Amino acid sequence: MGTGNADAALRILVVEDEALIALELECLLDDLGHVTVGIAGSSAEAIALGLSTAPDVAFVDIHLVDGPTGIEVARALSEDRRTTVVFMTANAKRIPRDFAGAIGVIAKPYSERVVASTLDYVADRRAGRGAEAWPDGFLPAPV
Amino acid sequence: MSVRSESAPPPATLVDAFARSPSPMVITDARAPDNPVAWVNDAFLQATGYAAAEIVGRNCRMLQGPATDHDTVARIRAAVAAAEPISVELLNYRKDGTPFWNAMTITPVSDAQGVAFYYAAQADMTHTHQREVTMRGTNDELERLVDARTHALSAALEQKTALLHEVDHRVKNNLQVISSLMLLKARRTPEGEARDALQGMAERIGALSTAHRLLYSEGDCAHFNLGDFASEFLADMNAGLDPERHRVEADVEPIAVAAAMAAPLALLIHELTANALRHAFPDAREGRVSIAAKRTEHGMHLTIRDDGIGLGAAPPNPAGFGRNLVEMVVRQMRGTIVWRDAGPGTTVEIDIPLQSAS
Repeated sequence: MGTGNADAALRILVVEDEALIALELECLLDDLGHVTVGIAGSSAEAIALGLSTAPDVAFVDIHLVDGPTGIEVARALSEDRRTTVVFMTANAKRIPRDFAGAIGVIAKPYSERVVASTLDYVADRRAGRGAEAWPDGFLPAPV
Repeated sequence: MSVRSESAPPPATLVDAFARSPSPMVITDARAPDNPVAWVNDAFLQATGYAAAEIVGRNCRMLQGPATDHDTVARIRAAVAAAEPISVELLNYRKDGTPFWNAMTITPVSDAQGVAFYYAAQADMTHTHQREVTMRGTNDELERLVDARTHALSAALEQKTALLHEVDHRVKNNLQVISSLMLLKARRTPEGEARDALQGMAERIGALSTAHRLLYSEGDCAHFNLGDFASEFLADMNAGLDPERHRVEADVEPIAVAAAMAAPLALLIHELTANALRHAFPDAREGRVSIAAKRTEHGMHLTIRDDGIGLGAAPPNPAGFGRNLVEMVVRQMRGTIVWRDAGPGTTVEIDIPLQSAS
């Protein structure tokens, strides 16, 4: 699954309040050769971890322990140009029109394939390689 | 009262009848300056509150007041000028200043020299007008009530919609949790039958998840597009295959089926495809599985075909869970299924009746 490019290893922050989902996602990211730099269940944790780890990618759920605060988290994390934010939510209807700085959304329930191919797409984008076609199951933010 | 035979009653009798009539009446002198009142009956005096001396010799406009409609007055003036009869309703005022609705018919009375008099018969229409006003008030009140009710209903609908979104969100989140649970347990289970079973269950849940994700994404909660499902399902299946050896293809029409059929159809297609991949290509045999669905007159026809070793060649499968599941789901959808050795491979043909979906 995925390209398995060693050079494409990404440092990823997981913002998800559901422990089981976060844990499984961490395992999957590990399988794909990426590194989970932290798991945050609340907006405060997420923003603090974002500042201290400056991740390459942040997967952000909208509904967190302290309410639908994932939008604020996305806005705060995407201020750091080094971080690419992707929403990962069953609540895509709550995403504002400007996507709060995120590049797109993976709708829950997602498959492992969508996570893998989205990370390939993100890696290509970050490396400046032409990644015109986004993967099935990933919805890009309107430009 | 004496009645003369053949012709009209004598003028004196007519005047008497008019004078006693309960309908207010006025006669004006068309030839005097400013068309003054020449004669009124008692009913007119009663209706207006004036004494005869106060009104005779003056123009009828003395009955008009601040709320009298100017356009109506202009129409009367035009009819009088043209010597034409006219019927109008005009707001007039009594001597004490109270207004009343005066419905009048003005008729010119001519002699050889032209119009001599205008004769006006009148009726107090205030009650009718009051009824109209009351009716308008009642209508306004009704409309206000309807508005209030509509507002309450929209609020209730908004609440229900929010609730539906909340439930939808929870179902999707829970599917993710269930799938995560299965996969986590699979990761911690040593390679072998148990692990395969867990992974198989996670895949089935994945197929159900795809169906559910597509179910409410387009805003249409009542239908499910089988074509959309097929393309996502295909991407998920092929992601787990070695593209050099195995391939799943699909040719599925964008058939809209009832939402209730989304889950069983997703399970069915997943099970047949996974079954083919699991059993048709042993010993590193290469091959492909194709999924086709098209509408028929009364429903849909689904074909799952592989170019593997064929039914007869496959070792008997005592557990046979996949095949059982498939037959159960087909029965649930009141469909029919035929398994055939296609030489090469296996073909499964399924017919499923559909309610008249759009």
